Amino acid sequence: METDELVQNMLLELRRGILSLAVLSQLSKEQYGYSLLKALTDQGLEIDQSTLYPLLRRLESQGLLQSDWRIVDEARPRRYYVISAQGKAALAKLKREWSAMTATMTQMLS
Amino acid sequence: MNLIDRYIAEVGRHLPEKNRSDIEAEIRSMVEDMLEERAVSANSADEKSIAEALEQLGDPKLLASKYAPSKRYLIGPDWFEAYIQTLQRVLYIALPVFAAVTIALRLADNPLDFASALGRAVGGAFEVGLQIFFWITIVFIFLERSDEVPYETRDSKPKAWTVTQLPKTPLKRQISIGEALTNIVMELFLFVWIVLPPMQAWLQGENDYVPFLHPNLWNLWMPIFFVLFVLTLIHELFKLKIGNWTPALTATNVILGTATIIYIVALVTTQQVINPAFVANLDSAQISQIRSIATWSTWTVGITATVFIGIILWDMVNSIRLSKRLNEPSGMVAAVKNVS
Repeated sequence: METDELVQNMLLELRRGILSLAVLSQLSKEQYGYSLLKALTDQGLEIDQSTLYPLLRRLESQGLLQSDWRIVDEARPRRYYVISAQGKAALAKLKREWSAMTATMTQMLS
Repeated sequence: MNLIDRYIAEVGRHLPEKNRSDIEAEIRSMVEDMLEERAVSANSADEKSIAEALEQLGDPKLLASKYAPSKRYLIGPDWFEAYIQTLQRVLYIALPVFAAVTIALRLADNPLDFASALGRAVGGAFEVGLQIFFWITIVFIFLERSDEVPYETRDSKPKAWTVTQLPKTPLKRQISIGEALTNIVMELFLFVWIVLPPMQAWLQGENDYVPFLHPNLWNLWMPIFFVLFVLTLIHELFKLKIGNWTPALTATNVILGTATIIYIVALVTTQQVINPAFVANLDSAQISQIRSIATWSTWTVGITATVFIGIILWDMVNSIRLSKRLNEPSGMVAAVKNVS
């Protein structure tokens, strides 16, 4: 029981670390919150809405994303997010780090 | 109000005001997206699907806390320890002293009535305690604000640390805690002495109250005094916290000291400090021994000002002298000598 809880916490931490990277990678095309959530879960990354939306906002306040309210296809106004130039630069660096890290970890864990 | 409105209001209640309405709009939009997914529009949605959607978003307080940039404090963990310690020490010194003085004065007046003297001391100590609590809290609230690091920069790398930043020798405090605290308490007493009597008179609606200080001073000179007072108090708290005459602390000390001296000199040379009406009210027997009211006032003010300036000058020179020792390799020895 206690080990389970520990593992759960560690998984949460692991996941928290990669969420920003996952979100940045999916926003080369603009998305609103819910469509991004769908895109992420469809690809197998489970994420709570209550985690995703504040994360989007934080990434925006850090300058990695841009957003504005817009009406597309005569739907209700929604807030659309898209990666910024600064975000693209950060994403490229993060991708390289990620490849190196996964290579190391794969080797360690095999 | 329907469920959605109530949910959003509850989230909004816990959001910082700055971007509350924007976040609220966004949450509403995402709830509507969720409902659409269930093939119902927000207007016609039944309670059950709304409830499900909202429960998926979870506790509104938790959601709001994820939007908040950081926990916010009136006095945060950085300052809390120092705050409690200062409060305790000052109260431990000030309250017994105040109570003892009150009892002594009362008994001198009426030696038999110990009960009323005790009652007066307890009541007065309570008031003084509240004053001290209030002012120390205010000062720490300012300290907390002044220390605030913007959220965006909080996670960025701190300045690279090298071993050269280690102090050359483990220093003992140059400014003892007692010294710093005594200064603070004296300042607070000075403040209370100036502010309390006119305030009490005003609260009790005494129309014939004759203040000791000249009423004209309240237009310009008292506000400047309050500014100097608060700055000095903050400076004293830093002395308490840092404990050594670092260059920054010494510079602040010299600047504040110089400003205070300039203030005193300007005040004494250009203003009538003591209210002539107050002096006129003094016992006629006392007055007869003094050549004139004007000379009495001049002497009182002059001597007080000279003593104050002397103390400030000595403190400035002392701080400069000690700050030089701080950088000497034998700083520890020098500091220890100074303490003893």
